[in-house]
Amino acid sequence: MTTLIFRRLLQLPLILLVIYTITLWLAWAIPGNPLENPDRRPKPEVIEQMNKQYNLDSFPKFYFSYLDNATGFHWLRDTLSGRIAHERALAAEAGQPAPHRPVFDFGPSLEYDDWTVNEIVAGALPVSVTLGAAAILIALVIGLLAGIVGAVRPNSLADLATLGVALIGISLPSFVIGTVMLLVFSLLLAWFPVAQWGTPRSLVLPAVTLSLPFAAYIARLTRMGMIDALGADYIRTARAKGASELSVLLRHALKNAFLPVLSFLGPAAALAMTGSFIVERVFTIPGMGQHFVNGVLNKDLFLVMGVVLIFAAMLILFNLAVDVLYRWVDPRIE
Amino acid sequence: MLRLLVPFALLLTLVGVSVLSDRPAPRADFVFINRGDVNTLDPQRMSWMQDLRVARLLFEGLVQNDVLCDDFGIIPAVAESWSVSDDRLTYTFHLREGARWSNGAPVTAEDFRYSWRRAMLPDLASDYVNMFMLVRGAQDFYNWRERALSDFPQRTFASARERAEAADDLWTQTRARFDETVDLKAPDAHTLIVTLERPVPYFLDLCAFAVFYPVYGPLVEQFERPDPVTARLIRRPGWTKPGVLISNGPFELTRWRFKRDMRLEANPNWWNLSSLAIRSIDIPSINDPNASVLAFQTGAVDWVSDVTVQYRGDMLDDKNDFYREHADDVAALRAQGLDAFEIDRRLPDDPRRDIQAVPVFGTYFYNFNCKPLLPDGRSNPFADARVRRAFSMCVDKKALAEQVRRLGEPPANTLIPPGSIGGYHSPRGLKNVGDAATESERDAIAAEARALLDQAGFPRDFVVELLFNKDSGHDLIAQAIAKNWQQYLGVQTALAQKEIKIFREDLKNKQYMTGRAGWYGDYGDPTTFLDICYSTDGNNDRAYSSPAYDALLDKAAIEPDPDKRMALLSEAERILVEEDLPLIPLFTYANVSMFDPARVTGMTTHPRAKENLYLVDILGDGKGPDKPRPMRPAGVRAGQTTPAPETTTPAASPTPPAGGSR
Repeated sequence: MTTLIFRRLLQLPLILLVIYTITLWLAWAIPGNPLENPDRRPKPEVIEQMNKQYNLDSFPKFYFSYLDNATGFHWLRDTLSGRIAHERALAAEAGQPAPHRPVFDFGPSLEYDDWTVNEIVAGALPVSVTLGAAAILIALVIGLLAGIVGAVRPNSLADLATLGVALIGISLPSFVIGTVMLLVFSLLLAWFPVAQWGTPRSLVLPAVTLSLPFAAYIARLTRMGMIDALGADYIRTARAKGASELSVLLRHALKNAFLPVLSFLGPAAALAMTGSFIVERVFTIPGMGQHFVNGVLNKDLFLVMGVVLIFAAMLILFNLAVDVLYRWVDPRIE
Repeated sequence: MLRLLVPFALLLTLVGVSVLSDRPAPRADFVFINRGDVNTLDPQRMSWMQDLRVARLLFEGLVQNDVLCDDFGIIPAVAESWSVSDDRLTYTFHLREGARWSNGAPVTAEDFRYSWRRAMLPDLASDYVNMFMLVRGAQDFYNWRERALSDFPQRTFASARERAEAADDLWTQTRARFDETVDLKAPDAHTLIVTLERPVPYFLDLCAFAVFYPVYGPLVEQFERPDPVTARLIRRPGWTKPGVLISNGPFELTRWRFKRDMRLEANPNWWNLSSLAIRSIDIPSINDPNASVLAFQTGAVDWVSDVTVQYRGDMLDDKNDFYREHADDVAALRAQGLDAFEIDRRLPDDPRRDIQAVPVFGTYFYNFNCKPLLPDGRSNPFADARVRRAFSMCVDKKALAEQVRRLGEPPANTLIPPGSIGGYHSPRGLKNVGDAATESERDAIAAEARALLDQAGFPRDFVVELLFNKDSGHDLIAQAIAKNWQQYLGVQTALAQKEIKIFREDLKNKQYMTGRAGWYGDYGDPTTFLDICYSTDGNNDRAYSSPAYDALLDKAAIEPDPDKRMALLSEAERILVEEDLPLIPLFTYANVSMFDPARVTGMTTHPRAKENLYLVDILGDGKGPDKPRPMRPAGVRAGQTTPAPETTTPAASPTPPAGGSR
């Protein structure tokens, strides 16, 4: 197991480097200059100087300087050479606040003057993680219940109903579900607030909306797994032993049927926790999803690269976590 | 089995911890949804409407516009009074003693010098740097610094340390150079003397523009250092954050979470604190148009500054139905000369009245590329003014405004919204098919246009391409125009819809034939619109170049007599919209907003649409006077009932308007 973790962690920087290279290459090709405002254009010589300042004048320069800052190498060099300590001392001497030097520096946002990418991510990631975690939780509860019901009485009315709901959950786009939920539960019934974030109540509607496609998927996975498991010999043995039906379902069948769900959870959690542009927009949630889209639209290179790298790292780490969990839950797998 | 519960437990803890650690603050006195997210709170770097709106809450300039008065005149702010020299070049501002920064430090003339110097630096790349070039010596200073900066990388240094020192030296020299060359003096802490290159009748209006507002030097300096390699001043973000930002306006920043929300609280050190009828403002970041309207309808917000939902046309139709049901009352209220918001306030309570469409200081138009050759090398038929005139005449602007836009926007035949600038007479503009009262009149206009095309030898098989960006309904407008041109001119058209960034690039590089555009004025003078057609202007996307037009603008720039100057500018606009038509004005923008006029007061209906939100009073909340604040007739200042005798056009007035508090 340790070898597995170790090997995966070693692969991580390599995969990130490939993703970084491809993404930057694509983002660089987007037309437009991120430093220009739509209508009032700065003078060309000013643009030129600013391009130079942000290394936007040459691809290799940007490629390596961004890599240097984002990976923490720059910080490490400056720490070892004593430069950061020197800057701190200078600032203290002048009675000024110490310069902020994060280890992993994703740079400034080109579109939002007053913010660094680190600050933006620090604000948005916890929001997305909370929402995503809640959504996956709801998806697990709904999905497992629906899956078990369907498996116990295959092709019964309950099974067909859950199948139908799952189909709707997968095929209806979340902006439709989200908007309908807002209309019904916020405007008509006034149970939940509109466009607010930060209270448990404000979490409910977006989390449910985000959870539905995942819930539907989990329900189908569980149902399939359970039907397989319920036909297996060890279940018959358990029943013959006189185990209660509930115990048969939960302790014996579900244990095996849950494994495919668990492997689905890794990418699903990473996807849910890095933000959904549409759910965030409909419910006005200050999460990560919007930065993927807006960063690209504004050609905010620093922001795009920052969120892409974080998303990629999360995806890899979640998959690793699931693999570890998998082995722990089912010791048969080596 | 227990092991299966681990993923659940992990997720549950995560959600629990995060929800518990994040508690929302109580609702503010006034909650509004801004046009978009604030890009920056650095006044000298601003150009977006939503940023400027917040800047007017956080900061205070020398003077301000009287936004609740029909003349939009200039009234005191940090400057208690001011005087203008006889040659109208020198302005002397007397700053009030009581003006304070939010940390208690006095607001001084030196603060304004510091802030304006920032704006004049090429390093800062202010979008409005040209406005500061009106100050005598500013252009010299700018050029000097620019040259020094471009020479710097060529200079050789023995070591990196020496280079860094040279960068610091250059910065010291720059400050000294500013003191020598720029005619902006602070003889004492409360006197600021500005001398201009030439008389600028709208200079006080500029001083009321947020880019001219002061920042707190001792704070900002800590975040701006010369870069040791390029010598350019590098801006570090950080000073515009809550707890750090020091401002001098009615409010201070107490919370700002990126793309989430912003909260402002009354600045206890503001000199006019007692005039505030609201003590806190929340600005949640809501970008989804539907969510904005829903948030208003559930009472979570008081004002939606820009309603962009697709069904807003239907909402306005509903409001018109409401007006029809109360036609007599509406007519009677209008006869009293009341403003639109005051009329709504006095009508019976009905949610349909909560949507407001007010024409503003901006025009939607179509550009022509006026270059002799098209991007593909063919000769450009639109280089001929006759062709441009013909195409302009064959757009049914009335149908466009009434049937496509449906927002009550007035069709426009001029670039400058008529009636938006005091003392300026708009030309009539070229007639179009939509102006025709009868079918035969319409046919005559179309026939005249076709004759113009024939005269110009417009090629029969030419396909006209219309460039526009997707979203905001630009596609519907382009379709309507294309249909008009096909119908009246028999011209073939092709629609080119592009992503906004590409669209902007194409406009800038003149990679288009005709394309949609829009412009909002920045200050109360015709030049804020007319400058964009000056041949060498950076915003001249049309590549329009007319010696006669340029000469008129040049002449107006040095014309001392205000009336003659306005006449010159009016003649310039006449060339634009009656003869040369480098652009087709289509309609004056309307701003569609939502608020309940019986609850919220203090909003302006003036076309400049520059509301000062610290004037807002929530009626019936027990805070402030709780009395409606309708628009006052021209010349009537707050607290007066008749026009003050000494108030003429403020810029030309040698005597300052009466000082005192609002």
